[in-house]
Amino acid sequence: MDATEFLDLLLKALLLAGVYAAMAVGMSVVYGVMKIVNLAHAGFLMLGAYFALELFQRFHIDPIIGTLLALPTFFLFGMLVHWLLVRWLPKSDTPTLASLLLMFGFWLVLQNIAYLIWGNEDQSIFTPLTLSSVQLGEISIPKVNLIVFAAAVFCMIVLQVVFNRSWFGRSMRALIQNPYAAQIVGVDDQRTARLTFGLGTAFAGFSGALLGLLYSFSPEFGRPFLLRSFVIIVLGGLDSVSGVALGAIVLALVETFSIVKLPASYQPAISFALLVLVLILLPKGLTSLFNRKWKMT
Amino acid sequence: MKLPTGVLGWLKFVLPWLLLLILLVIPAMNPSANLIRILFITAVWTTTSLGWNLIGGMTGQVSFGFAVFFGLGAYTTALLMHVGHNPYFSFIGGAAIAVLASFLIGLPTFRLRGPYFVIATIGVTEAVRVIMNNMDFTGGASGYRIIEDKPFNQNEHYYTAIGAVTIAVAVSAIIANSKFGLALRAIKQDEDTARDLGVNPYTSKLWIHAIAAALTAIAGGIYARRAAFFYPGDVFAFQTGISILLMPVIGGIGTVWGPVLGGLIYGVVEEQISVKFPNLHLLIYGSLLIAIILLEPDGLLGLLRRLFRLFRRKRENSGSPDAEQVLWGRGGLEERKL
Repeated sequence: MDATEFLDLLLKALLLAGVYAAMAVGMSVVYGVMKIVNLAHAGFLMLGAYFALELFQRFHIDPIIGTLLALPTFFLFGMLVHWLLVRWLPKSDTPTLASLLLMFGFWLVLQNIAYLIWGNEDQSIFTPLTLSSVQLGEISIPKVNLIVFAAAVFCMIVLQVVFNRSWFGRSMRALIQNPYAAQIVGVDDQRTARLTFGLGTAFAGFSGALLGLLYSFSPEFGRPFLLRSFVIIVLGGLDSVSGVALGAIVLALVETFSIVKLPASYQPAISFALLVLVLILLPKGLTSLFNRKWKMT
Repeated sequence: MKLPTGVLGWLKFVLPWLLLLILLVIPAMNPSANLIRILFITAVWTTTSLGWNLIGGMTGQVSFGFAVFFGLGAYTTALLMHVGHNPYFSFIGGAAIAVLASFLIGLPTFRLRGPYFVIATIGVTEAVRVIMNNMDFTGGASGYRIIEDKPFNQNEHYYTAIGAVTIAVAVSAIIANSKFGLALRAIKQDEDTARDLGVNPYTSKLWIHAIAAALTAIAGGIYARRAAFFYPGDVFAFQTGISILLMPVIGGIGTVWGPVLGGLIYGVVEEQISVKFPNLHLLIYGSLLIAIILLEPDGLLGLLRRLFRLFRRKRENSGSPDAEQVLWGRGGLEERKL
């Protein structure tokens, strides 16, 4: 591997990390506030990709605008899901059997509704942008990857600002730190949970649409990304935004550089291997990240 | 051994034996080959369902990765039979490999609090399927074939499966009534309190996971031996893991007989549903899962118990106050705490 190839892979990994972070952050906030492992996240990711596709094919809306439209749409959708299903779950400090099975059932429902509507063939979003690229010396970068990266990073920054500056962000952080104390000082936990679930879903739909620009997709689309989201938030600590960004970079680097050594067909096993390695080698590091929950930023 | 008391107690005591007796004499009554086939599949599924229930229901650790044990059981059995071992020895070999695999998942995750175990179980199915798809000596993605010298004997397969499900029920019942089972239920309800009372959650979870894996692998081996041909996209499918989890949830998690009830219903109904609504059956299962969790988390057994309670309220003086507990084998401690 020479220097150009190395730089090429490095750049590709960093660009990928942007969208990975956007994908994982939705799951991370939902876990932080509600202690729910949102398995339906995979379903929202998949729906996000189809959302951008439908807007593009039916209304000829540019997929980049489509991804941004996914944010408010999925925000409302997530609040609806919370109101219909999630709020009935018993509250707990750890993920409960009921919450896991409920979110899993909902994922199955989403996935199979998608099968009914769109069938099981692979779809992809093709725009004039898809095949054009930017030349940087000897390295060529597809424009789509750049735009996806920019959109993802922009939304992460907005999220960070919301987290630090708004009343909603502060209530979210309060609930993550200590749900009981937060309620004592007047945080409306149901309302915050609803908004958080909406936010998590919005980021899932948004990053799903971004991923739909990069890869082809089918109703099965979300599952490998669900595992990747898990690995990222485990790497970065289950409930912090900057940790998520760090985890995303690590995973993207490992995945991208593993192609050099491993055949591509082993790709899905890599995230799992990374997960097991982290759990074995770094449990202390993880728990210490866990304990410093208050360091949200 | 404690003798049962009251009508309900005796009913509970006699019914399982009656069921076993019926299952044992069915082949002698010259039934259609299809009935035996359905009962065989049902018995295999029920065994996995009972296995899942040990870790998922009794201990409260949800696993989406039981397809791994099922598939490892199938493959190990096939490979051992290929080199000339007795099939029954091969089932045990499959169970041993599955136990090792269960440690691989359990050792890193059970030590930690939080959702690590469930996360790992989602990943492990993907990882193992990918590896098996690329493995040469198992035929890779195109699958593996078991060749036996003997002629195909449907009844032998059937009795093997019935034997496995009997063992699974016995293991579940013994664990449920033992000190170990009590420890598991304590972990499910409150891990910290259980630890304070002298239970070691880490080793308890590890062992019950291993037992569950072994039962599932035996079922996988029995399935593979009858099917004679299987491939990673079949036995290691995420779908298989979903089915294994669905049965105990339908029947009633955490009980001994709930998974059996769920397995029976699933085994008999699954075929009709997937033939009649090939595109809808997972949608139906997903909706069912949501409905069960939100409306009746104890599944069908819970529903029956509720009906029974209604019925009893009408005839105030029938049965003992503990009848319900005797019938369903659950203590008052566990009231709908999920």
